[in-house]
Amino acid sequence: MTVTQEQTTGPETPPNKPALSGAQIGQSRATPYLFSFPAIFVVSAVLAFPVLYGIWQSLYRAPELGLDEEFVGGLNYVDMFRDPDFWSSLYRTGIFVTGCLVVGTSLGLLFAFALYRSMGRLRWMRAATLAPYLISNVAAAVMFRLLFNSELGLINTTLDFFGFDGPSWLSSTTWAMAVVIFTQVWTDIPLTILLLLGGLMTIDQSYLDAALVDGASAWQRARYLTIPLLAPQLVISTVWLSYSTLTGLGVVLALTGGGPTGSTTTMAMEMYNVAFRALRFNQALALATFILILNAVLTLAYVRVARKYEIEL
Amino acid sequence: MTTELIDAAKTEGVRHTAGQSRSPMAKLGKRLLTALPLILLGIWTFVPFIVAISVSFKSKIETFANLGLRPQDPSIAAYQEVLTDPNFLSAFANSAIVGAGVAVLTVIIGLPAAYAFARFKFRGRHLLLLFTLLPRLVPSIGILVPIYRLAVATNMLDRRISLIFVYAGTLVPLAVWLMVGFFQQIPREIEEAADVDGANLWARLRYIVMPLAAPALITIAVLAFREAWNEFTLVLVLTTTPATRTLPFALFKMGQSEGISNFPAEAAFAVLTVLPFILVYTRIERYVVAGLTSGSGK
Repeated sequence: MTVTQEQTTGPETPPNKPALSGAQIGQSRATPYLFSFPAIFVVSAVLAFPVLYGIWQSLYRAPELGLDEEFVGGLNYVDMFRDPDFWSSLYRTGIFVTGCLVVGTSLGLLFAFALYRSMGRLRWMRAATLAPYLISNVAAAVMFRLLFNSELGLINTTLDFFGFDGPSWLSSTTWAMAVVIFTQVWTDIPLTILLLLGGLMTIDQSYLDAALVDGASAWQRARYLTIPLLAPQLVISTVWLSYSTLTGLGVVLALTGGGPTGSTTTMAMEMYNVAFRALRFNQALALATFILILNAVLTLAYVRVARKYEIEL
Repeated sequence: MTTELIDAAKTEGVRHTAGQSRSPMAKLGKRLLTALPLILLGIWTFVPFIVAISVSFKSKIETFANLGLRPQDPSIAAYQEVLTDPNFLSAFANSAIVGAGVAVLTVIIGLPAAYAFARFKFRGRHLLLLFTLLPRLVPSIGILVPIYRLAVATNMLDRRISLIFVYAGTLVPLAVWLMVGFFQQIPREIEEAADVDGANLWARLRYIVMPLAAPALITIAVLAFREAWNEFTLVLVLTTTPATRTLPFALFKMGQSEGISNFPAEAAFAVLTVLPFILVYTRIERYVVAGLTSGSGK
């Protein structure tokens, strides 16, 4: 209402008001605070406060399930570091994150190059590669459980066709982790491809032309020109992938639930189990805090690298 | 001048390399080498979908009898089963409600904040960096247990409004960050001119800023909707009954409860979960891609 009024009366008011400089474009001094308050409030309530509350609560413990929680200081952390399950989950997280990084980055590079070379003609292909990004971890898990089913899955049927005997992927303690890595990479790779493709498209074509004139082979051009010039995007996608896999729970939980016999229990999965299966919430909060610290170190590394390459955050 | 030289040299170079591989077989090999990664990308992206679609049109028995991709006796029984399942229907409704709620709330909260960060000089401005870094510092795994306990303590467990609020909280930083970048591109002069003409702040927001920022707003709404539609772990801990569950949780429940897996129904469920979103997405793909890549560090 006020808006339309303002519109109609606007031209009639004499233009004696001085043009406001950009810095004071608003109505009053309070405006920016009023404008940003809801966002700051919601984000504090959902992200900042729960974390602080969680860290504080990790210093408490109920002597027995159902009893009141008492302050125990760092005892939950001491217990965590004494727990062999913690160390094995840390080890598995290492395998999981490294596996996802290696597979995700190499496939991401390969696919980004492929899309870059075919740009113009296959624009729809770029749109289509985003498809895995649009579906939930659970739907992805359903698909990959079908794909890797030992009796009726396409993977083993194909292996069988070539005369190989495929393993029973998801019930094998050695292969289940491979399937989890595969699925996680599948859900995460669209952003990696987009990032690397964006980087490829900003590379100055004249460098490549010059190299071509000098007789560099395709491999040499990729190895000594394109990949070094792609370094910022490679670093970002690496950091982003490690963030996503280190803190990722959805794929593991939906696909294997940490099994068989704990062989895919990463730290995030371990935290979930301690909290919602063993109902030792305070102990789980100690684990969550540990994951948060690991992740914060990663994020700070990201900021430093981004500054180094003068990437806008 | 120089470009002509380079062009000439380039054709020379091309001729040179072409000379090396004159035989048609070698040519074919080279073509295959460029096509192969693309084919691989196609297989990688689509095969999981194709398999799920194929299984969804088979009967329960056929999944075990016919391992081929083409169903021998295509039936829509699995879809009928899912579409008449009250759990699916309520989850679908919940996902739509929560998704729409999150999209609207995120834009309503994010827009003024982004405008303030982009246009005003005020004491809170330095918060912007922290604001954009916060979601990276605080992944959802870090808030899972605390949010659950807070929800229990405040009696907010198993309510759609809690889901909407929590998802909006995780998305507002991204929304603000995308919009700040966008608002900074809108020339101040336009707004200053409108200001001289007597348009107040609301008029400027309504008639200048919002129309110009429409692509950013659409992107944010879609990303917010996607998050609510797909998010799994928070909905897993924040809801306890089918009345509030969203689709991913309902699908997860289905996989858990079956004795012998009902593959066709699970596949049909997954397809039905994905389908509406893909349909929406294909219409606005360019906005989303632009929105995603504009921030990810050029």
